[in-house]
Amino acid sequence: MQHADNMHVNDKEIPKELTIPKLFYEKANSYGSQKVAMREKEFGIWRPITWQQYFDNVKHIALGLVSLGLEDGDKVSMIGDNRPEGLWAEMAALCARGTGVWLFQDSLIDEVKYIVDHSDTKFLFGEGQEEVDKALSIYNECPKLQKIIWDDPKGMRNYHQDYLISLKELIARGQDLDQQQPNLFKDLVYKGHGDEVALLFYTSGTTSLPKGALLSHHNMLTMGKHLMMVDPCHANDDYVSYLPFAWIGEQMMSISCGLQIGYTINFPEEPETSQENIREIGPHVMFAPPRMYEQMTRSVQVKYLDATWSKRKFYELASKIGYHVADLRFNKKPVSFHWKVLEWFAYAMVQKKLKDHLGLSRVRNAYTGGAAMGPDHFRFFHAMGVNLKQIYGQTEVAGISVVHRKGDIKFDTVGKPIPGTDVKITEDGEIITRSPSVFLGYYKNEEATQEALRDGWLHSDDKGFIDDDGHLVVFDRTKDVFTLRDGRPFSPQYLETRLKFSPYIKDSWVIGDKRDYISAVLCIDYSVVGKWADEKKLNYTSYPELSQMPEVYDLVQKQIKQANQDLPEAARIHKFTNLYKELDPDDDELTRTRKLRRKFVEKRYEDIVNALYADNDTVHIDTTIKYEDGREAHIKTDLSIRMLEN
Amino acid sequence: MSTTFLPCGTYHEYYAEDHGWWQTKFIKAKMALLFIVLFIGIPLVADEYWLSVCNTVGYTILGALGVQLLIGFCGQVTLGHAAFLAVGAYTSTLLILEFPWPQFLINAGLAYPISIFIAAIVAGIMSVLFGLPSARVKGFYLILTTMAAQFIIVDFLITQYVSQIGGRGQAFSLPPGTIKVGPWVIDSDLKVYFMMLVLVIISIIIMINLLRSRVGRAWVAIRDNDISAEVMGINVVKYKMLAFFVAGFIGGIAGAFWISNLAAISPEHFPWVWSLWLVGVILIGGVGSIHGTVFGSIFMVVVMEVLQLIIMQLLDMGFVWAEPLFMDFLFIKEAAFGLVICGFMIFEPNGLAYRWWQAKNYFNLWPFSY
Repeated sequence: MQHADNMHVNDKEIPKELTIPKLFYEKANSYGSQKVAMREKEFGIWRPITWQQYFDNVKHIALGLVSLGLEDGDKVSMIGDNRPEGLWAEMAALCARGTGVWLFQDSLIDEVKYIVDHSDTKFLFGEGQEEVDKALSIYNECPKLQKIIWDDPKGMRNYHQDYLISLKELIARGQDLDQQQPNLFKDLVYKGHGDEVALLFYTSGTTSLPKGALLSHHNMLTMGKHLMMVDPCHANDDYVSYLPFAWIGEQMMSISCGLQIGYTINFPEEPETSQENIREIGPHVMFAPPRMYEQMTRSVQVKYLDATWSKRKFYELASKIGYHVADLRFNKKPVSFHWKVLEWFAYAMVQKKLKDHLGLSRVRNAYTGGAAMGPDHFRFFHAMGVNLKQIYGQTEVAGISVVHRKGDIKFDTVGKPIPGTDVKITEDGEIITRSPSVFLGYYKNEEATQEALRDGWLHSDDKGFIDDDGHLVVFDRTKDVFTLRDGRPFSPQYLETRLKFSPYIKDSWVIGDKRDYISAVLCIDYSVVGKWADEKKLNYTSYPELSQMPEVYDLVQKQIKQANQDLPEAARIHKFTNLYKELDPDDDELTRTRKLRRKFVEKRYEDIVNALYADNDTVHIDTTIKYEDGREAHIKTDLSIRMLEN
Repeated sequence: MSTTFLPCGTYHEYYAEDHGWWQTKFIKAKMALLFIVLFIGIPLVADEYWLSVCNTVGYTILGALGVQLLIGFCGQVTLGHAAFLAVGAYTSTLLILEFPWPQFLINAGLAYPISIFIAAIVAGIMSVLFGLPSARVKGFYLILTTMAAQFIIVDFLITQYVSQIGGRGQAFSLPPGTIKVGPWVIDSDLKVYFMMLVLVIISIIIMINLLRSRVGRAWVAIRDNDISAEVMGINVVKYKMLAFFVAGFIGGIAGAFWISNLAAISPEHFPWVWSLWLVGVILIGGVGSIHGTVFGSIFMVVVMEVLQLIIMQLLDMGFVWAEPLFMDFLFIKEAAFGLVICGFMIFEPNGLAYRWWQAKNYFNLWPFSY
């Protein structure tokens, strides 16, 4: 049966009539109770949920929504951690002919309000008390919002608003309706057409307010199919869903690919335990933004520093071998026999265990996308024997359009277009894409739609070129290619990722556009630098204090020197300062997918920028910071500035 | 169990799997190797002397398991465990010598196995009897009440009354051929060795299975804090009595087993010091660990044997001053025991099991240290 499924995905084009609910209906009925659709870790075990249970829950939630008055095309929003219930709600909304909208779990109230209001959301699924509180505070300002559905009863005892309804109650209503009209669910599902809107997806937007991209069923399904034509998945694969559903990459893996191939989706116990839970499951396929891989790299580096001498030596030897072999492969040079023996030795001695610790033992394909990843990190994973691939995509193509192929990986490119996708470069150097997955348009924003969609081509606003091997090379976002005052260009993102390869630096922000030299604002990694300080017997009480210690400046300076090595004079960092806090999406400094909002931080930290280009040793800071619950704190501190002799 | 290091990609959908034995291929292979060594390797290689050392190790393990259960898992300090070994040994002996067994049972060689089982139950009941004070008293006071078991059972009941049964005087001799398991007459160290292996394995299986069930969790809860255990709804007295019963039961098996290795038994085989010795075994092995019981038993027995061998070697080399050491080896042994306990308490308070765990972790965490 599994084999037949693979054939189904690989051989036939997706018919226009096929929708996500129809596919779901077929899959659930063919697998029934025989196969596990998803697992959630609860009370120490991975509680399995079969396709039959998945189907029943979705059916009853969908009918429950219908009984509450959901009509064709109504928007259903979801907010919460990655849990089976979240996916059920989304699938139920689609089955009931609604449109799904996902919000980031850590969205601030303003963001929730904007999206709920702009999308005309009628029903909102919130996981528990926290989400319900957010929803309650915006309820009066969003006239279209009718019901708020909650699931986790913890802390919900004293909530009696009549527009609140529990998931249990909703399911009970659905069961009633199912008994009255047993064919209703099937009729609803088979009414759909592939060109109808499935999801309304808000782009994170580094520059402006989020825009809502309308994605059809056909968009989503072709996306998954074309990706799996490049890297096939199997029905008995495991996948761990721990990144926000509001990120298109997660939708692509959980819905577009997951539903078509029927692999098991595993949900971690809590967001905090996801790394540990990934290790238990050992997924076969992974897609995560660079930040996740940077985190893994950092943890390896820190643990390496703390290991005993003999273990360190083994690690060093193995990584030397790994890097050499990986570089040979990158350059498509043959790996000689004795290097193969050494590679095997490195694998048996170190890399096997290393991958085991990171949960990468079974990974066939690991993808990274959504932001730039530094070559250092990229090489690091290949030296470990992990098949890490860059991909390039955007919400507007329902996921990705370009990916690396097996054995054809270059770390400065993002690979070749997936089947069914044409990628061209305009005369201005803009990357444009045409494929069945290109979205329908922006919701309630005709102007932006016309800007992005011209003659069926999606204009990405990204600059790039196609190299001699047919690989797409993406420059940083147009505005992010900087030139020094004397005209020498440099790439801030390249420098930033390079700096982040140091385990001590969590975030970096490189400045220097139309300036005389390059400088950097750095955020130290609190836990790693904190541990380092503990070992050095340095006393500190808080992040601001630790970040300003001269010893920490020495440490960071050493890291920058390392990053500055073998860079041309123009691209080196001359001055730096440690920020008194970590950059945070709650302060609008990063997007929810953790990309730096350069314009915003430049304005917010104008004083620091000015001081970096003046003759100052310190800069005085007097500012407020915002917490997720809306509280604010006042901060007064002095940041020192350090110059590097290059 | 959750304490095992599992490789990436090993996960459990049900609690039964989560608590399963030997979850990975590596562990299965390791255990297969262990069984090959135990059942084939040692019998092939070891001579009579070393087989008897192995048997002593097995006897110590069986005795110490009960002490480990009481002290290490249920927190009930006991210093009278030898009494229950004695109960087991005497019950079994009396049953073999005095009970009118039907002939077919004797022919089938079932008399001794059945007597082991009955001995275990009797020892278990006696253990519960002397465990009753634990419902009221804790710590030092419990130590004293358990010591009472030694004095009442061995020094009073057995010496004064039980030994007189049949008018044999102090010792019960076991005529050759009376100890028979099925078709095999247990008359050589090798046969005793195999019987020991089977009994040790069965006892360890009983212990592990109890410990990973509700009963075991209740015991551990009582050990960690009996008041909170009671608040959680555990019937503390019931589970304490159960712990005493199981400890006595395994002790009874130990005693009944040990008569197969002896030509005659007398109360001197079960001195009070032996109770203390068993506590020492679990302290050295590691309190609260089945591994620790085994390691501690091996360590204590083998170290003493090696000590004896060294003294004999010294004698052979012509060191006259070693002669009194040899003559008084029993006292040397006890002195060494005291020293070893002191050393372990200071340098290795968590016992050998902790070392073992650390050694495994060294490789599990490779190439890191945490």
